[in-house]
Amino acid sequence: MIETIAASRCPRCDEIVAPPATYCPRHPVRMVPARLPGVGEVVSFTTLHSPPEGFKSPLNLALVELEGGARFFCHGSQTRGLKVGATVAIEAIDDVYYFSHLGALDRARLFWRRAGRAGDRVNAMTRSVVKRMWKGTSSG
Amino acid sequence: MNDVWIAGVGMTRIGRRSELLQDLMAEAALTALGAAGLEQPDAMVVATMNPEEFVGDGNFASSVASYLGLSEVPTLRVETATSSGAAAVYAGFVQIAAGHRRSVLVVGGEKMTHLPTPKVSELIGRSIDAYERSYGATMPALAGLITRALIARQGMTLREMAQVAVKNHAHGARNPYAHFRDPVTLDEVLNSRMVADPLRLLHCCPISDGAAALVLTAERTGVRVAGIGHGTDTLAVRHRHDLVSFRATQAAAQAAFAMAGFGPERVDFAELHDAFASFELIALEDIGLVPPGKAGHITLDGETALDGRLPINPSGGLKARGHPLAATGIAQIVECVWQLSGQAEGRQLGGRVALAHSIGGLATNNWVTLLESA
Repeated sequence: MIETIAASRCPRCDEIVAPPATYCPRHPVRMVPARLPGVGEVVSFTTLHSPPEGFKSPLNLALVELEGGARFFCHGSQTRGLKVGATVAIEAIDDVYYFSHLGALDRARLFWRRAGRAGDRVNAMTRSVVKRMWKGTSSG
Repeated sequence: MNDVWIAGVGMTRIGRRSELLQDLMAEAALTALGAAGLEQPDAMVVATMNPEEFVGDGNFASSVASYLGLSEVPTLRVETATSSGAAAVYAGFVQIAAGHRRSVLVVGGEKMTHLPTPKVSELIGRSIDAYERSYGATMPALAGLITRALIARQGMTLREMAQVAVKNHAHGARNPYAHFRDPVTLDEVLNSRMVADPLRLLHCCPISDGAAALVLTAERTGVRVAGIGHGTDTLAVRHRHDLVSFRATQAAAQAAFAMAGFGPERVDFAELHDAFASFELIALEDIGLVPPGKAGHITLDGETALDGRLPINPSGGLKARGHPLAATGIAQIVECVWQLSGQAEGRQLGGRVALAHSIGGLATNNWVTLLESA
């Protein structure tokens, strides 16, 4: 299942950030609550070999652009096979967010959910999802 | 706006130092005042990023002024994280440009090497957004994210980034003030310990102690401050739309060039903020010194070396000269003044226009300063 993540939106510029912020980063305006699906595209990731106190080494960190636009910081259990641009799911474990590679079933669910919302993009998505499923989980 | 000139500069050797921070700052300040032929400036600006935590002293403007016998000179302290030195130069610049003061001493310094490295990293890391820090983000971690995105999106290569470190170490070897005076090879950089994948130890600048100072004046000298620009961005990296360029650098460069009334094509050499090797390549393109996508190629081709078309970091940069935080933005300008006035023995460049670029935090508070010889 795909979780939703608490976010906030600027009523002035529609910028969405996650987790929610009190004020828009670009306008002195109070943001309004929003929710985003816990799925998105990897913007970048790194493995930190001397993490700060309180974290185990190696520490995997990723910046993920959620569907809906907010970029989100999270941990991951591993980055092997992960690529910039890959689609990942985000889930919370004890209030800490982790990314994980999407399984084929998750992608199929995601595909049908998206297709229902934006029928005109179905063809493009079919190609993209089929391509990703065909490559299997290693390509993320 | 009145013209602002540089009357004298000074700095300490950068590295592991045993003196008090006040002593290091006094050494740099008195050298700059001596070079300017001045005993008492009209005012003083002090830059330190975090003396409260690093050395346990607060009220640092008064602390430094009193220590070096300038307790009656009006002194203020400026802080914009790792670019505090450049911000202090701006705070002095506007006092003279406005006609409020005739001479201002600007001094910046930091002392950190007496603390364990994890402690220093944690203290520097406090300039990062608290939520991102709660996930373990440190400066190298965020730089690692940015570097991987550069490789994936812009096609930059690890070899190009390693060459930045090789070049800057070669420059530092010619600078008696540098923290590192030993050259490194491409293989040594590419095989050094992994810090934040894909960044390795020799892609990153060291932790250094040191101080740098300059005297700004309303009287004509050999070097004029032609422009200063300030650019900012969101504290949180996740709130930015672009990971592979820095809005704060772009805005600072635009403002500096607008003030100077000329463009990047007039720049003969530059000191850029290479806290991580990839940042030098980003800065080259953000400032407009190099067309988009070309920074890596021209670095591998040697165009940014001392004998190249556009020498970058003749001092050795943060990588080899060292990075004593609030001293760095001033030390960059000290190097530019030495170069413009023929005092950079062993690494002397030609040219009339120099640029200094300083990054505060993870590019949240950046500065570009343009210097022109008269």
